[in-house]
Amino acid sequence: MNPDVLDLARLQFALTAGGHFLFVALTLGLATVVAALQTKATVSGKPLDARLVRFWGQLYVINYAVGIVTGLVMEFQFGMSWNGLTHYAGNVFGASLAVETIVAFFVESTFLGLWIFGWHRLNRWAHLAAIWVVTLTAYLSAYWILVSNGFLNHPVGHRTENGMLVLDDPVAVLTNPSALLAFGHIVAGALLTAGFFMAGVSAYHLFRRSPEWRFFGRSLRIGVFLSFPALMVTAVFGGLQFSTLSTFQPMKSAVFGQKTAEIAQIQADMVARFGPGDYVPSIGWTRGAGLVMLICFALMMYFTFAGVILAFFRTVVFRFRPWHVALMAAVPLPYLAMISGWVFREAGRQPWVVYGLLKTEDAVSGLSAGQMRLSLTVFTTLFVLLVVLNAWLLVRHARRGPVEAGGLGHDDRGEGPDAPDPADALPAARY
Amino acid sequence: MDTLALALLAFFVSGWFVLAGADIGTGMLLPYLGRDSGERRLVIASFAPFFLGNEVWLVATAGLLAGCFPELEGALLTGQFPVLLPLLAGWIVRDLGLWTRGRGPGRRWRALCDGAVTAGSWSLALSAGWLLAALLTGRPYEPAGGPVAVLTALAVAALFAAHGLGFASLRLTGVPYERTRRLVGRAGRPWHPFALTAVLLGGLPLAAGGTLAPGSYTADPATLRLLVPAVLAVTAGTVAVQAWIWRLFRHRVTGPSYL
Repeated sequence: MNPDVLDLARLQFALTAGGHFLFVALTLGLATVVAALQTKATVSGKPLDARLVRFWGQLYVINYAVGIVTGLVMEFQFGMSWNGLTHYAGNVFGASLAVETIVAFFVESTFLGLWIFGWHRLNRWAHLAAIWVVTLTAYLSAYWILVSNGFLNHPVGHRTENGMLVLDDPVAVLTNPSALLAFGHIVAGALLTAGFFMAGVSAYHLFRRSPEWRFFGRSLRIGVFLSFPALMVTAVFGGLQFSTLSTFQPMKSAVFGQKTAEIAQIQADMVARFGPGDYVPSIGWTRGAGLVMLICFALMMYFTFAGVILAFFRTVVFRFRPWHVALMAAVPLPYLAMISGWVFREAGRQPWVVYGLLKTEDAVSGLSAGQMRLSLTVFTTLFVLLVVLNAWLLVRHARRGPVEAGGLGHDDRGEGPDAPDPADALPAARY
Repeated sequence: MDTLALALLAFFVSGWFVLAGADIGTGMLLPYLGRDSGERRLVIASFAPFFLGNEVWLVATAGLLAGCFPELEGALLTGQFPVLLPLLAGWIVRDLGLWTRGRGPGRRWRALCDGAVTAGSWSLALSAGWLLAALLTGRPYEPAGGPVAVLTALAVAALFAAHGLGFASLRLTGVPYERTRRLVGRAGRPWHPFALTAVLLGGLPLAAGGTLAPGSYTADPATLRLLVPAVLAVTAGTVAVQAWIWRLFRHRVTGPSYL
């Protein structure tokens, strides 16, 4: 095993997974908000509600569209760089990945296309149903990915046959606490990200004394009132995960607490169980990332608690400009917390890729260092480009505010000289 | 269950070649079909409602490989690493061009995005051909080399382009439509060329995939018993919805879409 290849493959996975997650966090949360907004717009039929759907829907689509290609790379990367993992654990790990791609990715993309392009062609209730299917499949996607990841962190429901894992108890795999608790943590964290994002964008417009004060006042309140409960739920699931660590991954727990004696003890136990080797993960990454996550949590807790109170006062929402600045500055906080949370979870379980069963070094594909370096360069360049592009487009469209012409939900039917489209006979949708 | 898993794999991979082949092929011909920004936007509108649903057939193929043929997935994807690199990079660049074309500023931005769509589409088609070359020559675990690989890649890319041309001739109107007619000619019914390339593109991966002998790499029966029925049910529903989307947007495009 070439140590260079291992390090490069790990670096590529860390960067692409981290890059992918920046998009996922906002997509998952914002989809929920847009679906809820559209439900209200469909029921009430009010123009303001419909404009909210189009504006936040536009930002959601930008983030989704630039993010979806990062998911493609993730999907292929397991086989390309980690074929030891698909060989050894494919019967369990591969199955949940397969369900994720087909049940979630396939269905989600199909319905998202329908939602984006079917704006004035579908009956408004069918169009509303499309965004809800997109949202629910996004949650399903998160669930199945966390079933895969939960299995890697805490393998259950399997037995070994001929040196390969086979599925023994599917229910145990699907109800793995390591997957379910992480799912709750991630979903709430995604809503938190969306809440901070909405509040930050709205604060920008209110700070600029936008004529759209009614529009952004409502959006700011939605963001702030969403953030606080989302943060509490995130914290509860985070705490529950911490309490399982001492039994699931005692080494991570010991490293985080800097308990030197305990680390030495667990290291000795693991050498006795699994043979000689270094079973202590990087202390800097594990403990550092864990602390960053907790600091972000503390900051967000005080901030959202104050925000919930402030948002009750009309004048404050529209006029309190220091708060607007703070809301804008706080947008990166949930992202930082999420990424450091993942670093804590994944770096802290090294040297294992399947905890206690398969070491990371035994999972990497037999590629040359040159191939891995090329792939790392290509994908890192592309991902940096994607993240920058996404940030630029989000800022551009967020700053522009709600526009009436063009963009998402613009009625593009029958602009040509002859448009024999029977869909034209339908009444225009009310948003 | 093994047979069903194989049938699903064949269905997904053929589905990708036929469906995504149409929008990739049209993307390859973008500079020919559309000579200015407005015309190119019309060409993109011809496949805009479908391409998101089309491209996920390949993601579903990869997922099915991982779930039902995990060992094959690892061996094939690692062995074809140098081929998948331009395939994925092309895919990313192309999607970026499509999604952000209408969201950025100015004429130059749109020209850049059009270039990304064209280059990405070519990269995807050529990589797919390169991959098929390795499978057809019976050495699926290393990238094909030599003139055979180059010729196969070019031939497959030409087939993608022809497929895209047939698709565009059924979807477009106005000047871009006239350009498709100039190449397609007027022999037979309008849908004949598209149907012919669809059969060829759909059959090609099946003929090539035989050398992989995927049947001998199926996952453990316990896994397949759960996975295959679930995938089958969801696939049936999703295919029905996609068919309905094709019906909903069956009319020729006369103006730009969201993209």
